[in-house]
Amino acid sequence: MNPSLLSIRNLHARVGDREVLRGIELDVPVGEVHAIMGPNGSGKSSLSNVLGGKPGYEVTAGTVTYRGRDLLAMAPEERAREGLFLGFQYPVEIPGVNNTYLLRAALNAARRHRGQPEVDAYDFLELVRARAQLMKLDESFLSRGVNEGFSGGEKKRNEILQMLVLEPVLAVLDETDSGLDIDALKVVADGINRQRSPERALVLVTHYQRLLDHVAPDRVHVLAGGRIVKSAGPELARELEQRGYDWLLEEAA
Amino acid sequence: MNAAVRPPVPGSLSQAAFEQRLRDAVMDAAPLLNARLLPISVRSAALNRALAAGLPQIRDDLWRYADLKFLGSAPWAPSPVAQDAARWQDAARALLPPREPDFERLVFVNGRHAADLSDPLPAFDAQVGPLVPERTRHERFGWLNDAFATDLVRLAVTESRRIEIVFVATPVEAPQAIHPRLELSVLPGAALTLLERHVGNAGENSLINAATQLHVGAGARCQHLREQSLALDAQFLDTLQVALDADAEYGLTLLQLGARSLRSSQRLSLYGARASAQIHGAAVAQGARTLDHSLLVDHVAAGTRSTQVLRCIARDRSRIAWRSRVEVAANAANAVSEQSLKGLLGGSGAEVDLRPQLEIHTDQVRASHGATTGALDENMRFYLLSRGLDLETARSLLEWSFLEDAVSRIGDTSLRRLAERRLVATLGSNVASEALQ
Repeated sequence: MNPSLLSIRNLHARVGDREVLRGIELDVPVGEVHAIMGPNGSGKSSLSNVLGGKPGYEVTAGTVTYRGRDLLAMAPEERAREGLFLGFQYPVEIPGVNNTYLLRAALNAARRHRGQPEVDAYDFLELVRARAQLMKLDESFLSRGVNEGFSGGEKKRNEILQMLVLEPVLAVLDETDSGLDIDALKVVADGINRQRSPERALVLVTHYQRLLDHVAPDRVHVLAGGRIVKSAGPELARELEQRGYDWLLEEAA
Repeated sequence: MNAAVRPPVPGSLSQAAFEQRLRDAVMDAAPLLNARLLPISVRSAALNRALAAGLPQIRDDLWRYADLKFLGSAPWAPSPVAQDAARWQDAARALLPPREPDFERLVFVNGRHAADLSDPLPAFDAQVGPLVPERTRHERFGWLNDAFATDLVRLAVTESRRIEIVFVATPVEAPQAIHPRLELSVLPGAALTLLERHVGNAGENSLINAATQLHVGAGARCQHLREQSLALDAQFLDTLQVALDADAEYGLTLLQLGARSLRSSQRLSLYGARASAQIHGAAVAQGARTLDHSLLVDHVAAGTRSTQVLRCIARDRSRIAWRSRVEVAANAANAVSEQSLKGLLGGSGAEVDLRPQLEIHTDQVRASHGATTGALDENMRFYLLSRGLDLETARSLLEWSFLEDAVSRIGDTSLRRLAERRLVATLGSNVASEALQ
């Protein structure tokens, strides 16, 4: 097995008084795609948010090691610059802030962090245009405010566009497939597949199996009650689609 | 509203002392006051009204948020100009903002027309009569501008013009009062794009008391950008009065970016049928500054329309107040009024007081208003941080996003671009101009 890019041990977290993660154990080796599935309220989004460093989530126990470093000790912006990308379930609208500007500022923040020079403006524009075409986003989206007036599907495609431009080492995509019609789902899946490489890893957080028809995961984990209750190969996703989550929850209980 | 409400003027300055100070100022200023600009009868009547009105009272709802402590020591008389004129101009030259293409420029330094810094166009048209609007206690410091103004712009616009007027305040040794004054008429059918800027680094020993009067004639159009970027220790009193005739279209953008203590009284009167006013305002304060605004919009005639988009950002321990009152008269059937006021708090001691008010005397009216104040949205902030942006950049971008509403709808492209640039520059160097759409 490849070395772990992300290694989570006994992770507990809470929001206010509510315990949302209760002892997560997870290893994501470099080069792999892992799917995290589970019923509503199982802690899927909480796990994404804790990995991204969202304020309001308090880690009460456990460790998260990312590229050999303590992820939890890093500020959210440092995690991003170290190559962690969080795809939002609900990408926020930021009117007045140009979409391309945000992309460039994000890319340059990571490049500066790595001691690289800032990206050339023309090279950058070419890169973004090519990636936008892949995501079937019209060029006009690049000059609009971040997610401003985008449909749900456009927002998700914009998240994947950001990922393709930033080329993160680890992408955690929180329900990127929700709210997509079948055509948009294929576009998003194509984008995710492009991100696959032996040097990177992806964590797909999803409620349904349908994204996994297009992006074949190496491992599937089922989250319930803030814990991973079952891990297996891609066949588990199909089984969940047929049988639902109840049998697993009963098994776990 | 709470215990933080301070009296506008310290108890040390009594009404009697204020009156005495004004009378002394008249004696000092008498040789400087040009009767050709404003007849002595007008000046004297204005002074008497100011004396009768006295200082704003603590309980006066129109003035309760203003920080007028500086009136305890403020001078009212303008400085004599002669010996300092050359020095003023040199200082002012360095403070002038870059030229805007296609605008004719007039520059005033410490209240005096500076011909050397201006384009060769007259600031004063002797054929045009004085434009002295009726004022109330809401505009009480306007009376003192009437009384003490040493120079002014008085023009009637007949065709289509783009004029920039820059009032520069430079530091002086002895305390001084500066009374910038604008009287502009846009004649029926004409169009004026007006860029009015108050800049400079005059500090605590200067009192700036500006008054702008505008009359937009029937079917005329006026786009007006008023930028106040004075030094952060400046003391600024301001009166704006605009009258609109039938079918006049007026767009006002207020950028309140400087001054330690600002009080701006604004009145827009929609006298003519179907006159319309679009008001955009953005105010940014930090430190312990106080920016107080009071806006009145009078819908006098039928079919008049006004919209307001006001955005305020208060950081640290600063305070921004904006009272915005719309009155719809009994004759103003089918008037339309929209008010959107929003405040953003950027510090635990910061305060934004937004007070939309509506008084309607007719049944046929469409009016809406909303006012909200809060801190930066945590989700938006986290989104930007999760893309690797640093805290300071994220904050600046979100503040820009918040203010953008107030300038995005400015019809004139060059004014809009300028407003955007000025706001972005105020919010911090981290927001590159590419962030603009």
